Amino acid sequence: MIPLLAWRNIWRNPTRSVVVILAIGLGIWAAMFMSGFATGMAQSYIDNAISDRVSHLQIHHPEYAKDKDAQFTVGPAGQVGSYLERQASGAHYSPRTLVSGMIASSKASRGIQVVGIKAAREAAVTGLGEKIIEGEYFASDRKNSLLISSRMADKLDAKIRSRLVLTFQDMNRDITSAAFRVSGIFESGNNAYDDAYVFVRQTDLQRLIRTEEASRPVHEIAIYLEEAQEVDRLQAALQNQFPNTLVENYRQIAPDVQLYESMIGSVSMIYLAIIMLALVFGIVNTMLMAVLERVKELGMLMAIGMNKVRVFFMIVLETVFLSLVGAPLGMLLGWASIAYVGEYGLDLSAFSSTMKMYGLSQVVYFEVDPSLYGQVAVAVTLTAITASIYPALKAIRLKPVEAIRKI
Amino acid sequence: MEVIKTSNIHKVYNPNKIPVHALNGVDLSIEQGEFTAIVGPSGSGKTTLLNIIGGLDSPSEGTVMIDQTDISQLSDNQLIDFRKEKIGFVFQAYNLIPVLTAEENVSFVMLLQKVNKDQRLERARELLKAVGLADKMQKRPSELSGGQQQRVAVARALASKPTFVLADEPTANLDSKSSTDLLDIMAQLNQEENITFIFSTHDQRVIDRARRIVTLVDGKIDSDEEQEV
Repeated sequence: MIPLLAWRNIWRNPTRSVVVILAIGLGIWAAMFMSGFATGMAQSYIDNAISDRVSHLQIHHPEYAKDKDAQFTVGPAGQVGSYLERQASGAHYSPRTLVSGMIASSKASRGIQVVGIKAAREAAVTGLGEKIIEGEYFASDRKNSLLISSRMADKLDAKIRSRLVLTFQDMNRDITSAAFRVSGIFESGNNAYDDAYVFVRQTDLQRLIRTEEASRPVHEIAIYLEEAQEVDRLQAALQNQFPNTLVENYRQIAPDVQLYESMIGSVSMIYLAIIMLALVFGIVNTMLMAVLERVKELGMLMAIGMNKVRVFFMIVLETVFLSLVGAPLGMLLGWASIAYVGEYGLDLSAFSSTMKMYGLSQVVYFEVDPSLYGQVAVAVTLTAITASIYPALKAIRLKPVEAIRKI
Repeated sequence: MEVIKTSNIHKVYNPNKIPVHALNGVDLSIEQGEFTAIVGPSGSGKTTLLNIIGGLDSPSEGTVMIDQTDISQLSDNQLIDFRKEKIGFVFQAYNLIPVLTAEENVSFVMLLQKVNKDQRLERARELLKAVGLADKMQKRPSELSGGQQQRVAVARALASKPTFVLADEPTANLDSKSSTDLLDIMAQLNQEENITFIFSTHDQRVIDRARRIVTLVDGKIDSDEEQEV
């Protein structure tokens, strides 16, 4: 009967109870919505980083990461390609030849990373071909074609067919320069990336830097997997198969991606904790009012023999009931809004320049880890119990004789 | 058989500031089956005495023996259990649980005593019938008149099969007819089931129905008389 009594007690003042239930529901909704937003943003950053620049796996010479010297090449990319075809369906790879250097127009010059690519393979890994906003993606056979970003074009005052000079070290560490003509201008959506990279045909770059020993040098093989969960397995298999190389996954290559990935869970917990903390005070206030306006009745209950444990339990139950009504409401609202924004996205193109600066998509699709629902349920129950302690202590500290004034 | 015996009860409020001597050496003995009214002017100590006999307050000095137990030696939790088993209370302002029906209010004390559900319901219905509320069992207090609520309170006081029932001015908020009805019920229960009732009251109708009248003045027993009813 005590649970029944507790349940009926919360409906003595329906307005107040509904307000608290709505506060709990909206609090939970807000925590889930914020969590969905943060997770969606982080996931967008991770997805963009993987699909646009890092890929799932990269293979380098073991020394390349320490000293990006053109001499540190990996073996023939073809061997990796045939191994991938046998081992992983849906794996795309792009062999890249990399040199650091300068790009110069008649107006300005910039430090850049020159990436020599095989157009079709790179398109399958990073989708670079789809990011061309002007010109073409290595469509003609014309030698020394160059892709630059629109930001780079602005800085160099260059446009399609402009001649730009690339200067870099060849594999003998001699300075080499060559003139390239802009054939395409791209926008990746990430300002830092756009400012750092230019793309040329791999054959053109190899011709300029090669030595007799290494006629077709490749410094990096980027691998994109359609099945992302295969990353760890394939990394181990590739490392085993090509022991003289260093096979790294996207977390190892880009610590920022790892940071975002690890943030996803903790950010949700932080939002949840802040909102639950705020709710604690709201619930304590309500329950304290509920106790103080029933002082006489609580005194009577203790006078007729209801012990302190039962009184305490009754107040805790009242609080838990309030929360348990509010929680499903908030979770349902949270689920519905996350499902909606997860499907249709939240258009943040009004902040496109900021979003690009941080490598984020302009449309954020909300998502949450399903375990968040369990975490919310546990957090609400703990919050309710925590919030009930003070009012319940207040109730059991009442002296029946003072509470009811006189028998 | 003696159910209550107080010896040299003193009660001083605010002993360290401005002491108020509510009781000044009260010796009182009440036998099983008595129908006793404690009367006296306001401030004479009636309520304090009832609070102490009911285990709701403790004396500053003296002992209170209820059924051979010195309740001044019991802890708060022991007192709660003691009250639950031994004492029935009828409060002046009805003090029913507003969210429970009449039947649930009566069975609530038995729930605290861990009586099983069937027995609880049977006794609650029996008692409500005895106080003339057979047709109001499923009504909540707000749906009952003051007199009806006080009758539910009497039924609840009896539900735990207490050694005695303490009633503090039980008719104070009732009209004349409701007072008479309530007194009839309590007198009948007293005579037929030998239940001990102790009232504090100003109400002459209650005093007229009591078989023993204990008059308190300035915290002392001024007179202790029996009367024919």
